[in-house]
Amino acid sequence: MLRLEAVTKRFGGLTAVREVTLNVNAGDLLGIIGPNGAGKTTLFNVIAGYYRPEAGRVMFDEHDITGLPPHAICQNGLTRTFQIVKPFGNLSVLDNVMIGSLTKVTSLRAARADAERVVETCGLAAYAPARARALPIGLRKRLEVARALATRPRLLLLDEVMAGLNPVELAAMVDLIRNLHAEGLTLVVIEHIMAAMMRLAHRIAVLHHGELIAEGPPAQVASDRRVIDAYLGEEFVLAQA
Amino acid sequence: MRVLLGWRWGAGLLFTTAALIPLVVRDAFFLDAVILILLWGAISAAWNVASGYAGQVSLGHSAFFGLGAYSAALLSTRWQQSPWLGMLVGIAVSLAAGAVIGYLSNRLRGPYFALSTIAFSQVLLIVASRWRGFTAGSEGIPVPFRPGLWTLGLSHVAWVYLALTLAILYYFVQLYFERSRLGYRLAGVREDEDAAEALGIPSRRLKVLAVTLSAALTSVGGTLWAQYVGFVDPFYVFSVDLSVRFALHTIIGGMGTALGPYLGSILITSVETYLRATFSGVQAGLTGIYLVVYGCVLILVVRFVPEGLAGVAARLRARTARALA
Repeated sequence: MLRLEAVTKRFGGLTAVREVTLNVNAGDLLGIIGPNGAGKTTLFNVIAGYYRPEAGRVMFDEHDITGLPPHAICQNGLTRTFQIVKPFGNLSVLDNVMIGSLTKVTSLRAARADAERVVETCGLAAYAPARARALPIGLRKRLEVARALATRPRLLLLDEVMAGLNPVELAAMVDLIRNLHAEGLTLVVIEHIMAAMMRLAHRIAVLHHGELIAEGPPAQVASDRRVIDAYLGEEFVLAQA
Repeated sequence: MRVLLGWRWGAGLLFTTAALIPLVVRDAFFLDAVILILLWGAISAAWNVASGYAGQVSLGHSAFFGLGAYSAALLSTRWQQSPWLGMLVGIAVSLAAGAVIGYLSNRLRGPYFALSTIAFSQVLLIVASRWRGFTAGSEGIPVPFRPGLWTLGLSHVAWVYLALTLAILYYFVQLYFERSRLGYRLAGVREDEDAAEALGIPSRRLKVLAVTLSAALTSVGGTLWAQYVGFVDPFYVFSVDLSVRFALHTIIGGMGTALGPYLGSILITSVETYLRATFSGVQAGLTGIYLVVYGCVLILVVRFVPEGLAGVAARLRARTARALA
């Protein structure tokens, strides 16, 4: 479904993403992990059209989407969320989601009904009339997901939607992602919380200094020597054992 | 829904009152104030389309106002054409100029965009005041009064209704920006452009659209104003003061609300008219006092009701609704 072909993104002398080649098949739930500054978010920005890569191609459904503006990529069915959430602060939660719905639905009434459904799915129904800026961070992360879902993507990129959540919120978010995946959505998830990632993802890709150093099932990745050295550390291995 | 209904009542009351005034009052000075309130309100509403709804705050809208004023004045004095035709020319020119400014908003955000709009209006000021052969330069253009609707030589009463028509028309344009798919998507762009893009909204195109439309609407206001007042002075019609005035009305009344620009215009224009009348002549030293009042009102609004007069009205209504419930 999504294919990265030797994608490279540089900022001046710094290569943030170096020749990353990666396949996401329909129905995947792929996790991307890596230490801070490994290039995870940069990779998302390249895929979603915010940065143009210096080399390589991004293929979505066999179409070259490299360099397309973000809105066109979203209209094609590939939507992303932001690590630093960007709610439309002065608008209500429902209006936030409705603006997403309006990308695929043209009538206001249908879009509102659609948004109400999405808000319900994401467990935000009780907050629908609240101003987005008034929500605590846990709910704002969920709103970020809800709004993206409302655009009816076929592939959803989630950028650290679990960071900063308390254990209860975290469990709810994991459930939400599982349910979406069970309903047939393809997901790529960036995350720092290893425990959640190990349970959630079917496949994990590890970035380090912009390079893809490992890719495979969670158990295999967790025992990979390079991944332990670069990211997990010996403590993680001992704790897992 | 109740809130929307409430708004309609507010606007209905305002426009009905304006429509009834000429039936009761014949005093030219009073009618003049009504006409100016409506015209400034409508033009501020035009400003609101770009700045309030699309979030592209312009401080150079006098550029479009001046283009509308000059188009009609030049066409009627040089080629003896109807000012209505001049209005169309003004619209065409402003659409082009608006598209250029709108395109700038894709490169420059926030204050940088506002500064570039100021520069744009000042360039037009220089052109209009220096190009003596065509625009009569800094002397300005007196617009001859030829009675008739076709030549816009109208009585005060007729001007009230013409200005009112424009005001109502622009009110509904704003309502469209509030309650249409376009309006919702622009609200997204205004709140966060990157997030809007991620949700599939072509933010650049929509911004250019809003700014261009706003420019054309402003230009129509400029044409009517020039025909009503009867004189086009480049240093006034292209002034930063005027641009600030459109912004001020709307900020005081409530940005991004359909009624706001009119509420702001009622407050500011009536206070200004009163102060000018009271403090002119003998107490010539106080002629500028309305500027002091402007400043004080703005400070008070920004400090105590940053969402504007329309916001206060909404808050009061919510409170009554709660009390009744």
